[in-house]
Amino acid sequence: MTVTEGLARLQAQFAAAVLGEDGAGFARHLAGDAGAGLRRLAIYRNAILANRRRALRAAFPVVARLVGDGFFDEAALRYGEACPPGGADLNRYGATFAAFLAAYPHAAAMPWLADVARLEWAWHESLAAADAPGMDFAALSRVPEGEQPGLRLLLHPSVRLVRSAWPVLSIWEANQPDRDGTPDREDGADDVLVWREAQRVLLARLAPPEAAFVDAVARGLALEEAAGITDAWDFTPMLQRLALHGMLCGFSTGDRVPA
Amino acid sequence: MTARFPPRAPDPRKAGIGLRTAHFEALARSRPALSFLEVHSENYFADGGPSLAWLERFRADHAVSLHGVGLSLGSADPIDREHLARLARLAGRIEPALVSEHLCWSSIGGEHLSELLPLPYSEEVLAHVCDRVASVQERLGRKILVENVCAYVRYASSTIPEGEFVAEVARRTGCGVLLDVNNAWINSVNHGTDAMRFIDALDPSTVGEIHLAGGEVTADGLVDTHGAPVFPEVWALFEKAIARLGAVPTLVEWDVDIPELAVLLAEAAKADAILASSIERASRKAAA
Repeated sequence: MTVTEGLARLQAQFAAAVLGEDGAGFARHLAGDAGAGLRRLAIYRNAILANRRRALRAAFPVVARLVGDGFFDEAALRYGEACPPGGADLNRYGATFAAFLAAYPHAAAMPWLADVARLEWAWHESLAAADAPGMDFAALSRVPEGEQPGLRLLLHPSVRLVRSAWPVLSIWEANQPDRDGTPDREDGADDVLVWREAQRVLLARLAPPEAAFVDAVARGLALEEAAGITDAWDFTPMLQRLALHGMLCGFSTGDRVPA
Repeated sequence: MTARFPPRAPDPRKAGIGLRTAHFEALARSRPALSFLEVHSENYFADGGPSLAWLERFRADHAVSLHGVGLSLGSADPIDREHLARLARLAGRIEPALVSEHLCWSSIGGEHLSELLPLPYSEEVLAHVCDRVASVQERLGRKILVENVCAYVRYASSTIPEGEFVAEVARRTGCGVLLDVNNAWINSVNHGTDAMRFIDALDPSTVGEIHLAGGEVTADGLVDTHGAPVFPEVWALFEKAIARLGAVPTLVEWDVDIPELAVLLAEAAKADAILASSIERASRKAAA
């Protein structure tokens, strides 16, 4: 047995003893008073679960407020069992929490919950997304008219679009610290644009053609194709809005993917 | 690579504090004279955005210490190259005075346990850890400090006293030691060992930083919480430690239930006073 095989076995048994149901089998690896050693393994269990819980609470404060502490902590525990962190950076832990909630039987009575989680994760990702230089509008203005339909725009790395059949933005807004939790709408769909501007993450509700247009741009479609998706709708105001709020950071013409 | 920031080193005669989001505004306003600011490296692994912008702003005025909690130096898993690449990117961007990690493991079989877990201290594990420390130093192109952790359990397979293990890692790899006085104290109480014997095993020239922190007394022993004032016994052990090691850049850690900035600064001032009196005693001794 190589050193890493022996160490791997010991560490796997430690993890099983700390996170599993029964740690007693690990006693033979411990020095000193076995009873005290096994009780102290619980210190690790509590710390590991608390760290995971804290990371999820930080990323999903609205979900936590909607479901309450007991529900959230239990969901965090089950999520950790199903999808333990695959990296040491807990700020990246929770990418699949929305999908977990969508399938979580105890959340079945709250069908909007998973989409609220998706919106919170988009917010969380937007905050930490890469910085990017602004759009070179001078260069953009030099694109000959004939090539404009083929323009492909590059969105800022912080831009996200969250589309939901539920009024997730209303729910999100109602559950900010200064609000009492009552949403101004209880049904209807929300398409939410998420972006970072002046180091703050901002959210805005989009009309259906606006969302379809942003989605098309995000997928790298040329303006002509994006316009086709949104039919006769004039995309110019939406384009200006993206530009004004720093959501565009590059473009390409022809078939090149924007960079 | 050209430097983006003025080179700054921690002042060994003064304590630093941990940089926490809750204190960004207050710290930027009051700009206290501090030996250095320490951050958990992973909290700045973002690709961009406000966390990095703040850190760069503070870096312009202060020496920064990057303190990692996730590299899992002692794991049997391969080193997470992506994690290490992010650390290297952050170090390139911030130009830290110190980079440290823990002598522990925190992941196995690809699962991360997000906690500093103890290692068995054996010749085999020593060789394994030294290989990994060397490989991290090579990737980062710099020396790192390794920190002794709190071990609530000890292994039957340990054959080397902890102090000798830590000292040997430093001797073989050329890395430095981040001496956590609170961890040394807690281990000594929980396991009935002698904390000063642990400190005496270290080569003073390798100790590049000291950590102090508060903990909690429980029925199962002392627990290192980083959420309370420093124990009086830990202040006393700190005094004895620097009497042996000389003045070393010192940090009071406070990571949960984070108090007002003023409380942190007061804990740092206590450390300053002890460092100052130690320096004075040493210079009197040298003059005599």
